[in-house]
Amino acid sequence: MFLEIVTPEASLFRGEVESVIVPGVEGEFQMLENHAPIVSLLQEGDIKFRGNFTIEEEYQDKFTNGDNNTKILHINSGTIELNDNKMIILVD
Amino acid sequence: MENLKEIRNRIASIGSTMQITSAMKMVSASKLKKAQDTIVKMRPYANKLTELLQSLSATLDSDIGGAFTLQKEINKVLIVVITSDRGLCGAFNSSIIKQTGHLIETKYSDKEVSILSIGKKGFDILSKDCNIYKNESELFDNLTFENIALIADDLMKQFLDGTFDKIELVYNSFKNAATQIITEEQYLPILQPDSDDNTNTDYIFEPSKEAIVKGLIPKSLKIQLYKAIRDSYASEHGARMTAMHKATDNATELRDELLLQYNKARQSAITNEILEIVGGAEALNN
Repeated sequence: MFLEIVTPEASLFRGEVESVIVPGVEGEFQMLENHAPIVSLLQEGDIKFRGNFTIEEEYQDKFTNGDNNTKILHINSGTIELNDNKMIILVD
Repeated sequence: MENLKEIRNRIASIGSTMQITSAMKMVSASKLKKAQDTIVKMRPYANKLTELLQSLSATLDSDIGGAFTLQKEINKVLIVVITSDRGLCGAFNSSIIKQTGHLIETKYSDKEVSILSIGKKGFDILSKDCNIYKNESELFDNLTFENIALIADDLMKQFLDGTFDKIELVYNSFKNAATQIITEEQYLPILQPDSDDNTNTDYIFEPSKEAIVKGLIPKSLKIQLYKAIRDSYASEHGARMTAMHKATDNATELRDELLLQYNKARQSAITNEILEIVGGAEALNN
């Protein structure tokens, strides 16, 4: 699915990913391809996403590496919307 | 002629003024480019947030904004005046200050008005005869979303506590490098967004629709303030660029005129000298 991570100051990431784990306010959850449409608030925690992609050099220091091609981004709060395999994460 | 030297000096001084104004124009142009880039980068976030908020509030019947949409009887008004820290940008600051004065005299003439000033220029003038709630001029040294969010948090808190019944923004919104539009915008209470009911997707909401809308409203207020300040910042550089461009043009015109005068004076001095020499030679021949 297509993932886009935006903050008020920049668009940190755009690209195809296999799975995304987000820190929802009611607990962490994972989304894979063809997940049902969802809107959710996020709390402080890590966004973890996996797939074959490259992150723009400018923003590379914002992400840390996890196991098997996973990238991790720490956030304080945010919002996600997923619809039709297109996911957008608004990070504050 | 005795004023030859004088004219030469003036030409030299106009030349150096021109150098300064054209350098300032270049600096503003590059800063404007950067400021515009930030506005473009902010857009995806702002658009998505507005879209989400609109489509969500359209499907909720009750007044979900809660305390933020509450229309109170207006007694205490806060005007957030966004100007710049530096001058030499034409009518940029003065038109904002004029507009603020106009608002205070007409719309809020019988209300208690306080000012939150962002930008030194506005503070310098408004602090003389207005009630200043706060001065946030050091913001421009470090213009990040976090710092602006802190101001927005404070505004929301003051509104909820009842310190102010209405908050308005006055700023220059950015149209293009040469044009700024003076904008008055109601910040709080929130005006209900025009909701077009186009949400046909069956979303899962976590935790609940109401909670999400409640969570989104402060975010959208922060981004609204951020956008206003960013717009004003880009406008400032646009205005300065235009002002400096005009100053350079004027200096060029002035210099050309003086150059013409100088050449005329020089010519007549030479003619005089030749006349004298010829006159002297004639006298010798006779």
